[in-house]
Amino acid sequence: MSKLNETDIQGFVLRGYNLPFARYLFLQFEAAKRARSLIARLLGEITTGQRWDKGKPQSTVNIAFTFRGLEHLGLPDATLRSFPVEFQQGMKQRAEILGDTGVNSPEHWDDLWREDRVHAWLGINGVTMEALDARCLAILAIIEETGGAGALASQDAAAQVVDGKPTTKEHFGFTDGFGNPDYLGVDRSSQPGQGKLMPDGTWAPLATGELLLGYADEAGELPAAPIPHLLASNGTFMVYRKLHQNLATFRAFLDKQGSLYVGGKEKLAAKFIGRWRDGTPIEISPDNPNPAIAKDPSRNTDFTYGGDAEGARCPIGAHVRRVHPRDAFGFSGQLINRRRITRRGLPYGRFVPEGEPVTDKEERGVIFMALNANLSRQFEFVQQQWVQYGNDSHLGNDKDVLVGNHGGHGKFVVQGDASPGNPPFICSNLPDFVELRGGDYFFLPSITALGMIAMSLVDPR
Amino acid sequence: MPNNNGSVYGLTILSPIIDDAKATPSHDLQIRNYLAKLSTREDSPFALAPGTHLARLVVMDDVVFVGAPSCEEHLKSKYLIFESNLDGDLDSYLSGLAATIPDHLNAIWKHCVGYPGAANRQAFIDYMKACQLETTFFFAAVNNKSVSETLRALQTQTAVADFIASHQGANPAKLQRDFIQFVAKLKSLPLPKPGSMGPHREIKTGGRNE
Amino acid sequence: MSNINGKVYAMNAITPMKPWKTWILRLIFFVLGHVKPLQKDLIDLSFIEFARWVVVPRSGLPFLDNGQVKEELKYDYLLFFSNFNGTWNQYIDAFSAVLSRGLNLVWRWSEKFPGSVPVTLFKEYIARVQFDTDYYYTAYPHATANDVKSAHIVQASLDKLSQLAEKSDPQQFADAYLRFVLQVQTHLGETSDAPVAG
Repeated sequence: MSKLNETDIQGFVLRGYNLPFARYLFLQFEAAKRARSLIARLLGEITTGQRWDKGKPQSTVNIAFTFRGLEHLGLPDATLRSFPVEFQQGMKQRAEILGDTGVNSPEHWDDLWREDRVHAWLGINGVTMEALDARCLAILAIIEETGGAGALASQDAAAQVVDGKPTTKEHFGFTDGFGNPDYLGVDRSSQPGQGKLMPDGTWAPLATGELLLGYADEAGELPAAPIPHLLASNGTFMVYRKLHQNLATFRAFLDKQGSLYVGGKEKLAAKFIGRWRDGTPIEISPDNPNPAIAKDPSRNTDFTYGGDAEGARCPIGAHVRRVHPRDAFGFSGQLINRRRITRRGLPYGRFVPEGEPVTDKEERGVIFMALNANLSRQFEFVQQQWVQYGNDSHLGNDKDVLVGNHGGHGKFVVQGDASPGNPPFICSNLPDFVELRGGDYFFLPSITALGMIAMSLVDPR
Repeated sequence: MPNNNGSVYGLTILSPIIDDAKATPSHDLQIRNYLAKLSTREDSPFALAPGTHLARLVVMDDVVFVGAPSCEEHLKSKYLIFESNLDGDLDSYLSGLAATIPDHLNAIWKHCVGYPGAANRQAFIDYMKACQLETTFFFAAVNNKSVSETLRALQTQTAVADFIASHQGANPAKLQRDFIQFVAKLKSLPLPKPGSMGPHREIKTGGRNE
Repeated sequence: MSNINGKVYAMNAITPMKPWKTWILRLIFFVLGHVKPLQKDLIDLSFIEFARWVVVPRSGLPFLDNGQVKEELKYDYLLFFSNFNGTWNQYIDAFSAVLSRGLNLVWRWSEKFPGSVPVTLFKEYIARVQFDTDYYYTAYPHATANDVKSAHIVQASLDKLSQLAEKSDPQQFADAYLRFVLQVQTHLGETSDAPVAG
């Protein structure tokens, strides 16, 4: 395959920055000409995928556009109509397909997302809060100067810092940050369990085209992309979802159910996700967390479900098993290679240790951002078929226990075995632990594409 | 016999539709209009007549021209396709249709060439068999359970999940007592209606926002 | 949409075949029908409730006289009827990903078949040769093939347990009950409506 030109791809696509402080600015464009001049000015600020071999920058900046945003930038009609239908519609219109109903339906979203005003997302990350603030001021100054857009709102997000070091913990207490796929040409090294499963049991990187437009994907073709090629290549699509977490409800539920479950609260929590709270996969360590495994990249994603068809170690409906089934559907895992996504999110809101009072109303949750070459085939499919539904795992209409929109109904089955510490167990009347508060679909162009947009040089064929 | 797979039968019938330039609307459109208004749920004719797992009716207008260098050709008649996946043997199935839903059969097939009506059972069966095509290869995920057995099993599955969930940690004596009662109650429940979506379960999967 | 009823989709497709190729296809179907292990992949994909292929020789369309004009066709035709769970895209994606050789074996004899890989060309061909269903009935719209298979397992296990329920003492029963739960624990999914295809 062709070598990737890392200076042409936005850094946000190729790497998780591990810069613990983030602010996401949402812009609404002014007249097209001024908006384009803003893009031209911002070009020099955008962080590319060039490696930080000489040390981390203090802050990074990346940019993405909704379909509305591209319309407002004056892209030609033929180009606009060539974008995939789901991107043209935007995430709000896809609510029924995604199962964003009930408490997750758009009428309950934050004002920012309920109205169709977001044109661009500016993702700014900083190594410290000060670095973040400084960069934001600089960017806002540019926006002000060009008069190219109005800043509608901003969303802060930050990794939880424990003992001065950023962690990958989220509010429910789970360690996140596993499971991003390896792609050909993108990653320097391959982590076992992160790519696709080969017939001989080893793991290989996924085709580049599962992440980036313009490259061959796992189906042996170029993914559907807008025209012209130059606009699409080295770009990708991003899903942004603000997921509010009902921490009080979750803790109460886990306490109650954990007291009824013979294996105890921590084991039950591990059964929900498929990893102990420290990240140890329960598939390979079913009885207790194991920091040696959890902290070792060559072990903490290296497992398959072939030896656990009954779900006695990792429940069939556990979160990680749902969203990354590995070999669970047979066929050497081939059915899932085109259903992978790269996640880049961060938590938002105040962290509260276990035992201290907390309410559901407080603003906290995770900013979920997923990158994929094809929204409907990748993110939407996983959300519709594997999260809000369960037929592929033979679970009928059962939903993901943590992320599903249960509305007080539904169940989660913890499969077990005959051993006394691992009985079968069912949690019923599931509350909504997570609520969608808004979001949209964005197009993350390459640096070349940004330049073309800025200079109004986009020509459909 | 390729029409059979276990206890399931794959019936494929192509009935030529009457071609009459004077009919307004044309016969194929009349079939389409009738089918468009026909219920596909519990009051479907195929729910009322016994033995149908899955069935479809399709008005086939023409063959498909796949493009040059293939030759373009056209059918001289349109055909009504009836594809059914049914329990047991063909004669009893067709008799069942004629006995239970003759009005629907007549309303649909009266637009087809040579249709004798459902009143004369044998003539109806002979007509359907005259229009039958042999299924060359028939695949069935489950090929050994009848419609009733399937509906009962689905009812059982939901009830069992509820029972297990509500009896966690129950002491053995109570568990046994409740279980015996549960089985008796389940046996007494009426068979769920074919074609229905099952009992309301408060699970919302996609669907319109209210 | 009348192609869909609850969780199941009715696909109809017709493809032309040069008559000299048809006997090869018949032979392939004969072998497939009699050599059960060849059907394993089809069974493992587990989202087809029923499917059939019907080879229609060019003189094989029913002719009932009575004013009907006899057909004069050059091609034989392959009719395909599938009743599957999931969306159209999901169905074809899965087949193209893991059953491409089987698909090719069946459809390479049809005119202008582009092969089942890569999938986009394959989907274009299917869209061209697919025609829509006017009326679709299923006795169990809230259940997929997986739901039905699981339901039968639950029923069989329940029947076995109820046979010894009256005859055992509470402790024996409790042991048998645990074994029963372990048998059915992966087969208890809810059955309700289908995700919206969009």
